[in-house]
Amino acid sequence: MVAVLAMCALATVGITVGIIVMLVGQSWNFFNSEHVSFKEFFTGTEWTALQSKNIDDAKFGILPLLSGTFRVTAIAMLIALPSGLITAVYLSEFASKKVRAVLKPTLEVIAGIPTVVLGYFAVLVIGPSLQWLTDGGFDAFNATSAGIAVGILCLPMVCSLSEDALHAVPRALREGAYGLGCTPFETSVKVVIPAALSGIVSAFLLAFSRAVGETMVVALAAGTQATYTMDPRTQSQTMTGFIVEMIKSENEYGTVQYFSLYGVAIALFVITFGMTLIGQLVRRRYRESYS
Amino acid sequence: MSIDSISQDAPQDPGVQRPIPEAIRQGASATAESTLNSRHRKRVSKAFYGLCVAISLLSVLVLVVLLISIAVQGHSRLTPTLLTGSHSTSEPASSGMYPAIIGSLAICFVCALSALPLGIGTAIFLEEFQPTNIWLRRLHGFINLNISNLAGVPSIVYGLLGLSLFVFMFNAFGQIKVNESSGTEIMGVERYYQVLTLAGGGDSVLIPQSDLSQPTITITEPMPAVDRQGNTFQLEVWDPKSETPKPSDPAIRHRTVRLGQGGGAYAKTSWYYFRLPFGRSFLAAGLTLSLVILPIVIIASQESLRSVSPSLREASYGLGATKWQTVRNVSLPAAIPGIMTGAILAMGRAIGEAAPILVVLGATVAKNSGPQNLMDTVVTMPVLIFHWAGDPQFTYQQLAAAAIIVLLLILLLMNSVAIYLRQKMRIE
Amino acid sequence: MTLHNNHSATIPEHTRPIKLPSDMPQSASVTSDPTSNPSNAPQLADETCIEIANFNAWYGSFQAIDDLTLKIPRNQVTAFIGPSGCGKSTLLRWINRMNDIVPTAHSKGTLRIHDLDVLSPSTDVVHLRRQVGMVFQKPNPFPKSIYENVAFGPRLHLKLRRGELDELVEWSLRKAAVWDEVKDRLHAPALGLSGGQQQRLCIARAIAVGPEILLMDEPCSALDPASTLAIEDLLYELREQYTIVMVTHNMQQASRCSNRTAFFFEGRLVESGPTDDVFTKPQQKRTDDYVRGRFG
Repeated sequence: MVAVLAMCALATVGITVGIIVMLVGQSWNFFNSEHVSFKEFFTGTEWTALQSKNIDDAKFGILPLLSGTFRVTAIAMLIALPSGLITAVYLSEFASKKVRAVLKPTLEVIAGIPTVVLGYFAVLVIGPSLQWLTDGGFDAFNATSAGIAVGILCLPMVCSLSEDALHAVPRALREGAYGLGCTPFETSVKVVIPAALSGIVSAFLLAFSRAVGETMVVALAAGTQATYTMDPRTQSQTMTGFIVEMIKSENEYGTVQYFSLYGVAIALFVITFGMTLIGQLVRRRYRESYS
Repeated sequence: MSIDSISQDAPQDPGVQRPIPEAIRQGASATAESTLNSRHRKRVSKAFYGLCVAISLLSVLVLVVLLISIAVQGHSRLTPTLLTGSHSTSEPASSGMYPAIIGSLAICFVCALSALPLGIGTAIFLEEFQPTNIWLRRLHGFINLNISNLAGVPSIVYGLLGLSLFVFMFNAFGQIKVNESSGTEIMGVERYYQVLTLAGGGDSVLIPQSDLSQPTITITEPMPAVDRQGNTFQLEVWDPKSETPKPSDPAIRHRTVRLGQGGGAYAKTSWYYFRLPFGRSFLAAGLTLSLVILPIVIIASQESLRSVSPSLREASYGLGATKWQTVRNVSLPAAIPGIMTGAILAMGRAIGEAAPILVVLGATVAKNSGPQNLMDTVVTMPVLIFHWAGDPQFTYQQLAAAAIIVLLLILLLMNSVAIYLRQKMRIE
Repeated sequence: MTLHNNHSATIPEHTRPIKLPSDMPQSASVTSDPTSNPSNAPQLADETCIEIANFNAWYGSFQAIDDLTLKIPRNQVTAFIGPSGCGKSTLLRWINRMNDIVPTAHSKGTLRIHDLDVLSPSTDVVHLRRQVGMVFQKPNPFPKSIYENVAFGPRLHLKLRRGELDELVEWSLRKAAVWDEVKDRLHAPALGLSGGQQQRLCIARAIAVGPEILLMDEPCSALDPASTLAIEDLLYELREQYTIVMVTHNMQQASRCSNRTAFFFEGRLVESGPTDDVFTKPQQKRTDDYVRGRFG
């Protein structure tokens, strides 16, 4: 019986191995093509895998997709990190039981909303609001509205992980700070947050990786043009957005354009896996330091 | 060394003689100034508290705006047609999501069936069988780290894995191609040629297919056949060029075909039709989703098992129970409510997940029923919503909002069950 | 560790005979009263510092302290003793309004420090806690460097130049008798110190903001005997400049290092007086039973 359970556990390692084998194997078809070079892939500023049916015209430079992902993620983090952390501080340091009883389920509900719903919300409400506020300064599909929706999506995650970290700070430290004459603000900002810093950093990293890998919101709201710019008002196809478009386009299996999605996927996997790994390692060390 | 120096130092320890620093004396005596300072600090603190409340309220506000805007957009399409109809390109107004609801539930079922045993088994192994050997401990730690990393892998990557692993199975069993090959079939399918009989009006008999590489047949001689009721009989052939008149008895006409009559391939599948690779089927989709939620199930189960008081386990060992007996009779029953709560939340995640299904099944939504067999393709609610939301037609936009309301209601129902379980667990 | 043991073992012989330094400065107290020169303190033994009258305190509906009246004299070590749950820690935590952070705690009655009404809602808690320092049961240094721990309080309350801050940190650490052990690693993490060193660091942190009163909530209960001895010696020295109120479970400790003792039982004050009297000729039978170790 134990052997069966051990097999279950090892199967989880098998999944990781499977992902890596699959990504490397399939993207080999892409990188091995004569139309693709590593140099172009990493430094090219044009990505036209979907637009050019003719392989000779296709350009495979991942930078536009990366910049799209970066824009959306940066906006999402600008929203999710401060508000998630502040909400976490409020929940762990100040909130009364009654407030908690409202706020916690609210955050859980937001965390449980399917991402496709948030994508729809971005298209239905956030995008038009931005256009209305700026008198048409934004494209109909743009990085900002997708970023805001992704930020909403990451907020509960940042909040609950940070709250865990703040909770792990011993009560004695707070008392020590109050005992020295700290105000509640000083206690939170000068003692509790620094003491929980590595836990909070890990929460940030995990949220970052989540935002980079988010798919449905950007597929709906960020647009379908890969643009290499820092302007958050334009269309911004992201790495995940491109994968979805390629799948949707029913491009012929076997073409270099089709396999380019695996090239993008492996870049996506390396970024998110790296972030998550660092985040988890930081989180572990933090947990050990207070238990 | 240091001991000596200390004992020499101690008598004339300057701590006692040393004067209180000017800084303290000044700060202490300057009462007015320090009160001012503390008043300012308190104001900052109050402002910070206000900021906390405002930001926290913001999340409530966002949720409210989201729900209201979707309700406003979708309420007019919350009709019975929505629940009974299926996607229609020609008549958007009569579109519905019945196949999607069934499809989502079917996928969720497959997903639960595969992810729960695997996930709970892994959790039991990791929590209850902790090795003492240093290398095995490292392996344990590695598996744990790996699981938390898997939880951070984007779901679309799981979709790509599912595409290779379940849909194509790395092409190890041959490729599935329409009208050419259907991979390696295991069971649940009978292949026939369908041949028109003399009875007319589309009446046909089925002739068992012996060579799968031949997509068509031409009847030249009597051979065994199967009728619609599944009875086997000997098929008779009537040659129009011969002198024999065309049989007039309808019963005989049913069993007779014209010489040289052609027939096409026809597959009769049972619900348990099974083949390798799975192709774009709901089985493949369900298994892919189970990969997505597996880390969630494992982590929730681990936490639940960890919260079982060690004294319960010790009591069990104290009675002479073996490790496995303790797990089965003590730890697992105590942890089951928590595990079930986690499992339901994970199912909620699975029902709402669109990206991996999009990858595995493609973006098509044209299907008017739930899955007919294990290898049948399906539409799911999130994919349908994605399709509708991406369509510029206003009717589809409204339909998307209405479908979101249905999806959220189903999720709400599942979460209520989870909350109910959690409460029940607390009371016990 | 060896270093530490020797330190605590050697100090008593040399320092217990109190040599009052001639250059002792004015007290750090906020209410800078000309009569409060610490060199006079032992003579002014009966000047009341904290006055508690008809004091009641609750946690939710549970009454932790019931109609308590007590005067705590200036520049002495007052020990609160009594069995667990008798309200002694609760009282201590009300003296600097530490219980403000416990949502269910509330109180009624009089609690004054000199002429300051501690319980009044208009009292500046930040200011109060600067005057009334607190040392906790478990050493709770912040996860920062040793220097940063001591400098933390002054940085909140005072605007100091770098040199002044350094001087203040050194003074506080010397005062808490931990300077010699940490002077070479002021910027090392405080959590790397031993338990006893950490607790003395916490005392240094508390006195760095210049309090008049030090509250100590079982300051030695988490420490080994050698560290305990070091802290007790420190208390003996510190009372020249500070009014110290200490909660302890350890009767020997109370008798060793306090001048006055108050015995609490079930939320009430049973008896209080000079430590020698309480331990050798208690007025109440319950006190007698307790100090002899018959219960509690």
